[in-house]
Amino acid sequence: MNFERIGDLVRLRYKLMWARTRTRNGKIALFFIGYLLLVMIVALLAAGGIGAAILAVRSGKALLITRIVLTSLFAQALLATVLMGFGMSAIFSDVELRRYPIGASERQLVRHLVGIIDPFWLLTLALELGLLVGLYAMDAASLLLGFVAVLLLFVSNYLLARVIEAIIDRLTKRGSGSMILMIGVMLLSFSGAIIPPLIKKYPGIGPATVKVLAYTPPFGAASAMTQSGTSVALGFAVELSWVLGLAAALVWFERRPYERRVVATTVLNFESRYDRAAAMLGFDHAPLVGWWLRFYTRNSRFKALIFLSLPIAAFLTYNFAAGRRQSLGWFPAAIGTVPIVTFFATSRFMVNEFGYLGGGFRRCFLLPVEPSAVLRTGSYASMVLSACFIPPALIAWIAFAPVPFDPREVFVLLASALTGMFIVHGLGLWATLYGPRRGNYSQSLGNDLSLFGNIVLIGGIMFFMFSPLIWNVVFPAMLQPAHWWYWIVPPVLAIAFYRVSLAMASAALTGRREQLMAVVEGRA
Amino acid sequence: MDAIRISNLVKKYGTVVAVENLSLDVPKGSMFGFLGPNGSGKSTTIGCLTGLLDPTAGSIEVLGERFTADSAALKRRMGVMPETLGLFDPLYAHEFLAFVGRMFGLDEATTRKRVAELLAALELNDSSKTLSEYSTGMRKRVAFAAAVIHTPEVLFLDEPFESIDPAGVSLMKQWLRRLTEQGRTVFVTSHVLETVERLCDRVAIVMRPGKLVWQGDIKALSQDGGSVECNGQRFDSLETLFLHLTGERYADLNWL
Repeated sequence: MNFERIGDLVRLRYKLMWARTRTRNGKIALFFIGYLLLVMIVALLAAGGIGAAILAVRSGKALLITRIVLTSLFAQALLATVLMGFGMSAIFSDVELRRYPIGASERQLVRHLVGIIDPFWLLTLALELGLLVGLYAMDAASLLLGFVAVLLLFVSNYLLARVIEAIIDRLTKRGSGSMILMIGVMLLSFSGAIIPPLIKKYPGIGPATVKVLAYTPPFGAASAMTQSGTSVALGFAVELSWVLGLAAALVWFERRPYERRVVATTVLNFESRYDRAAAMLGFDHAPLVGWWLRFYTRNSRFKALIFLSLPIAAFLTYNFAAGRRQSLGWFPAAIGTVPIVTFFATSRFMVNEFGYLGGGFRRCFLLPVEPSAVLRTGSYASMVLSACFIPPALIAWIAFAPVPFDPREVFVLLASALTGMFIVHGLGLWATLYGPRRGNYSQSLGNDLSLFGNIVLIGGIMFFMFSPLIWNVVFPAMLQPAHWWYWIVPPVLAIAFYRVSLAMASAALTGRREQLMAVVEGRA
Repeated sequence: MDAIRISNLVKKYGTVVAVENLSLDVPKGSMFGFLGPNGSGKSTTIGCLTGLLDPTAGSIEVLGERFTADSAALKRRMGVMPETLGLFDPLYAHEFLAFVGRMFGLDEATTRKRVAELLAALELNDSSKTLSEYSTGMRKRVAFAAAVIHTPEVLFLDEPFESIDPAGVSLMKQWLRRLTEQGRTVFVTSHVLETVERLCDRVAIVMRPGKLVWQGDIKALSQDGGSVECNGQRFDSLETLFLHLTGERYADLNWL
């Protein structure tokens, strides 16, 4: 292993990141990210890590609480990476690294060293270390053994996220893969609703599950940190087995990239159904809308998110309706979660329409249409695709809604969905213009959005999710189907906001095109 | 009549001047070579001429009409092969060309016919690969096909011949000659001076920052013993003229 070259390449990655801060926007983004990270680390270290440790020792349930905290952190890191793409940003690809005089295993090491030093993973590590420091301060853990246990847990968490990424990547490239993915996500989403009643009905399941969980990395780490004697050795053995197993799986996946089997053909399939669909919907510049539809539907990230949208909404509805002490009920929860299906799948392009076009962005200004037509049609295509999720969401509500079913609920949910779609798409236009980022079209996972894009996307999800709580305080009638006609107003206002945003953003595009071109083509 | 008229064109990026007071007339039906060393403002000028960039000052007329970024009707009469090619990578070549053809106003039947003919002529027959899977030369061919599919009246080509094999270049030159014979205008930038010399009727040479240093007719160079005059000297090839104007550089690196 040439550790000097490996070190040089890891440093190069951070030099490149630092180089981005040379621009004014880069400096502002760096300041905010640094500030937010600092605040989060301090707050979470104190409340989540050390606080949990103190509680664990004082309550005399150090092992149990450590297991719960570590499992939560482990699962949250996985969810955040798989769903939102945090910590999975594009690192050097193997092809990029081949130009340097290092071998295959060194390239692999560089890629994952760079990957694991991502701020998101460091935040996860800080939280786990916080717990260890708390346990050590309360004399319930050895600092050295605990540190090794946390490091192994941290590495296994990262490796598992990468293995899941590789599996999802393969699934999205196969014809039947998306369906398998959806079934998996559905099962995972509804496990929260299925498991507690099962445990209640069959009390034996609980202890048996804990026995199985003892062989997972968080439980192994908890044993290694808080126990003594053979339990410590067993805990380390569990963690080490996972690290080695996952590393082997990752190496296997990376050495055998999935390749689409394509037979060379000279048959020209114009697939003009996209253009026809666009023309049928009455859009001007139907070929442009048709091209955007192709652009979206051929993207593996979009394909993966299509199948995640409805299960996620179902999971969040369940979580808000049944999983919380101060629940407002199923219907208010659904009012907050149904808008998410109208932008989740298309989110990546909605807030960064041009970021994945690369040099193709220039073509948009060479076409014999006013430049804003490209922005408008991109947004329309996103909304056409997003709107397709509304009927299945409403049908799911009708099928699974708690009895007695009130048909007026469907109107309210439709209005809520439309409100979400128009507001977030309106904001997406602004993010496209003022927060562009050069992205990788072929990457299935990873968060490659700008700060503005992330604020619109994550802020949109959070805002709509918590909107029933706001309605409950300021105007509770909005949460009752009996007052369904109140819901005529929000979509009308949302459409007005979208129209104004569209007009203003369209007018601003020509003036912004040179800056956008520089970002999209990687010159800024 | 001039197909393109550039008057006192200035393009600045902040305080950096990329094009300085450039004035140029390109006659209709000519094959016009726009030459200059790297970073001399050729692509910036083409960017202004095609609506990609906003000129800081000056005016541009194409086919007798004032041209701006919003001149949609005028763009329909122009074909452009930009420096970055402007391809939409997730598409197949035939889909991309069909999209461009439809956007430029061709009907569906004509578009499909022309796409099939262009792909066959440019040897882009494998329709199982998306544009992202094509080699650089193949991508250039697709970009060239996209620029000519609607038989434009004015064609802008930014370094069209680089990375394309000799057979492909020969075919492209043949098509370009036919276009000018039909009275259409071709505005081309290239570093392949031999090709420019054989292909173009007129040439303009710019130096950093986009400053015109010479323009004239070069048809004489393609005749035996022919030469062109510059600053009282005669040059028998475009290369010697170019090096005279831009300066030949020599650096002795004793380790190389």
